[in-house]
Amino acid sequence: MSLHFPAWLQRLNDSPLELLPTLPYSSGGKTHCQGIAVQATDLSASARPDGHLAFEHATFEIPCGCRAALIGPNGSGKSTVLRALAGLIKPREGKVQVLGSPPALGRSQVAYLSQRPTFTENFPLQLRRLVQMGTYAHHGWFEECHHGNQTVDRALELMGLTNLADRPVHTLSGGQLQRGLLARATVQGAEILLLDEPYAALDQASRDIVEKFLFEQGHAFTVIMATHDPADSRRFDRILEMRNGTVTTTHSCTGHGHHHA
Amino acid sequence: MLEVIREPLAEAFFVRALWAVVLGGLTCACLGAYVVLRRMAFVSTALTHSILPGVVGAMLLGLSPYVGALAAALLTAAGAAWLSNRKGTSEDSAIGVMLSVMFAAGIAMMQLAHSWRDFTGLLFGSVVSVGPQDIVIIAVTAFVVLVSLRILHKEMELASFDEEYARLLGAKPALLRAILLGLVALGAVACVRLVGALLTTALFVIPAATGVLLGRTLPQVMGWAVACALLGGIGGLYLSYYLAWMPSGAAIVLCCALPYLAVRIFAPRR
Repeated sequence: MSLHFPAWLQRLNDSPLELLPTLPYSSGGKTHCQGIAVQATDLSASARPDGHLAFEHATFEIPCGCRAALIGPNGSGKSTVLRALAGLIKPREGKVQVLGSPPALGRSQVAYLSQRPTFTENFPLQLRRLVQMGTYAHHGWFEECHHGNQTVDRALELMGLTNLADRPVHTLSGGQLQRGLLARATVQGAEILLLDEPYAALDQASRDIVEKFLFEQGHAFTVIMATHDPADSRRFDRILEMRNGTVTTTHSCTGHGHHHA
Repeated sequence: MLEVIREPLAEAFFVRALWAVVLGGLTCACLGAYVVLRRMAFVSTALTHSILPGVVGAMLLGLSPYVGALAAALLTAAGAAWLSNRKGTSEDSAIGVMLSVMFAAGIAMMQLAHSWRDFTGLLFGSVVSVGPQDIVIIAVTAFVVLVSLRILHKEMELASFDEEYARLLGAKPALLRAILLGLVALGAVACVRLVGALLTTALFVIPAATGVLLGRTLPQVMGWAVACALLGGIGGLYLSYYLAWMPSGAAIVLCCALPYLAVRIFAPRR
């Protein structure tokens, strides 16, 4: 579903009188992100500190509210881009700004979903607790979270996981877990979602839920999603193509307007 | 039946041993939940074994055995971390190196101290010889460990389950791991009198392994682990009281293993 809002309707959408359903975390449906969400200039990075460069001299920008697909074959460096934006790896060269400052760990506005999450096996943890971990972003050290259950419930509902809330995490299917992780990202209050091949483990039903979440929630957040399948990128506003070790922007949106090919 | 339970309680040494077992079991079972879930059984073995050179060294230098034991345990943890940060050494071989080096140093120092017999209590445990001062040390350790685990509960749980997400949220999993190792060292040193340096690792691993089979959440795992440790600890003390030939340390460990076996065989889940 593509939405073409006239400017006045967009302003209305950004005001407290929202027309679209708000996300569990979003304060009044508004995003704090303004202008440019991600700006990379001449960026080079490698997956490991001593490894070869996964990409070099990448220059791109992603406006706030934009859904950007990062496409390219396996091993083209998509994951490295996302991990650099998340602050998990330091760029070798160049400059990158995420929400106006260099990427860093400990920022609740940025959520990153790895392609292959590495959880401790058989850990005694129920799905609700997994989603609740997103609220830790708002509770400092030495604090226990006593509130936020309502937020967790709404995130579970949004992802169609209400019935599974008490299931141990290790009994969930790949798709259910992926939705749980997205629910955790919303509870965290992320404004930028960095998603690494999120469709890989999803069946059609799960995928429909995730797509609905990503594309039909107004401008609540900026999405940067890596995918090896160009067909996945149909609904995105902007396509960043990774080829021969660098990044080319092949299809642009103007940010707050949604343009579709 | 009641008489069987009440009779040893008239002895002061038995009551002290009971306190030591209850407090120590509580501490080790709660820490053990993390040790087992994070697959740190081997590093806990290394920490408990390195208490031997620590105590012997402290004796040679005329220091408190607790200080020496704690220093040696922390040295082992730091050494293993330092070695495994180097390229080409995996963490478990780094721990293996530290464990054997520390234990060999302990044996050499025992020869130097001209006394093997004095150290059997250290190696195999002597909970019945626990003095009032030891009880105070165990109680303080239990307090420190349990309060730390309570305060850091959500961070420790997060970092144990999903280290990358902990990093992303800024919860510093490496620091949490170091804190956990420090707490394990503290717990091991306080509890070495219960079952001895060679078997202290059993107090971390066996009750928690039972808890993991029964609990669906981390607090439940800890609860079952504590229950198992208390059952095993108290049961073991009574067993060694009535069976004159039975060493207390071995009795405690064997009694901890009984609930584990029972749960393993009859566990409803998994």
